[in-house]
Amino acid sequence: MPETCPHLEYREESEGLSFDVARAFCTVTESFVQPMRADVCTARYDLDPETECEFYVDPEANE
Amino acid sequence: MTYDEYLDGKPTVITAALTGGVHGKEAHPELPETPAEIAAAAAACEDAGASVLHLHARRENGERAFSIERFQAVADAVRDATESAVLQHSTGGTAAPDALRHEPLRTDPAPEMASLDMGPLNRYERLTSENTRGLVASLHAEMRERGIKPELEVFNDGHLNESLAILEELEDPPYLNFLFGGGTTSPPHPRNLINRIEGLPEGVEFNVIGFGPHQLPMTTQSLLLGGHVRVGLEDNRYYNRGELATNEQLVARAARLSEELGRPVATPDQTREILGLRGR
Repeated sequence: MPETCPHLEYREESEGLSFDVARAFCTVTESFVQPMRADVCTARYDLDPETECEFYVDPEANE
Repeated sequence: MTYDEYLDGKPTVITAALTGGVHGKEAHPELPETPAEIAAAAAACEDAGASVLHLHARRENGERAFSIERFQAVADAVRDATESAVLQHSTGGTAAPDALRHEPLRTDPAPEMASLDMGPLNRYERLTSENTRGLVASLHAEMRERGIKPELEVFNDGHLNESLAILEELEDPPYLNFLFGGGTTSPPHPRNLINRIEGLPEGVEFNVIGFGPHQLPMTTQSLLLGGHVRVGLEDNRYYNRGELATNEQLVARAARLSEELGRPVATPDQTREILGLRGR
């Protein structure tokens, strides 16, 4: 079972944008994530961030 | 529909695609996401000339939702806010399990219409909305069972083949929706729409979507060729280059264009007659 992306955060503010409900934010691209992409970030429906997100960075590889 | 029917002034069915599921408020701060926001946009679009409301459902944080409960909340809010517009639920859902794709059909009452994606569509770099023939058949079977009119989503020419293959299974009139844009949708060029409709069997009604900057020219061409149009923030966020739109503005422009070009805008009742809907 894939795990939620380590680069996913939920934020109410960033980039000059603010929201009433915290939204998916990618710390690699430093941007809020489109709702459809968020299904990959959250590994919803068995999607795997490592293989199905083109922006994914292996955290261990950077250590 | 045909060019002759354009000359006869056949009414235009305007569909408003209010929210979608691909982008959200991160792309357009006024894009409606909650049931209340979608309902308010629906009411404004109905007043502006939309007779069909294409609906998706979302979670509180804007992410996609496919459950009966979330669609029920949207549909209830839209029905309360509108007079008599036709509700059309999306059954699209890149990467969502097939079982979930059926849930938008199971609200009470069932929607009068639902979208039916006719084949694969690429998303981003690594996702594909598969829409296998098996899924298309099972969704279509449930639509027939529940008296829901399918709008066949023809993302490209291959999907036209898929649509024509099931034409005899469809209640009259078959309703095909041609999509033009990038990726695995059809290349957005006027000659491609003309080629597409030249070979359509008699009695087929067609609708046109153009994504992004192609919304205005492709839907306007559809008006001239006797087709119907879909506009809204799901497909296009801008009114002009760099100027964000509202759903209502996009519907109002489509209505103005249709009237100026000699085709009255269809009321919800006329839409039910044109598309052979059973009502609710």
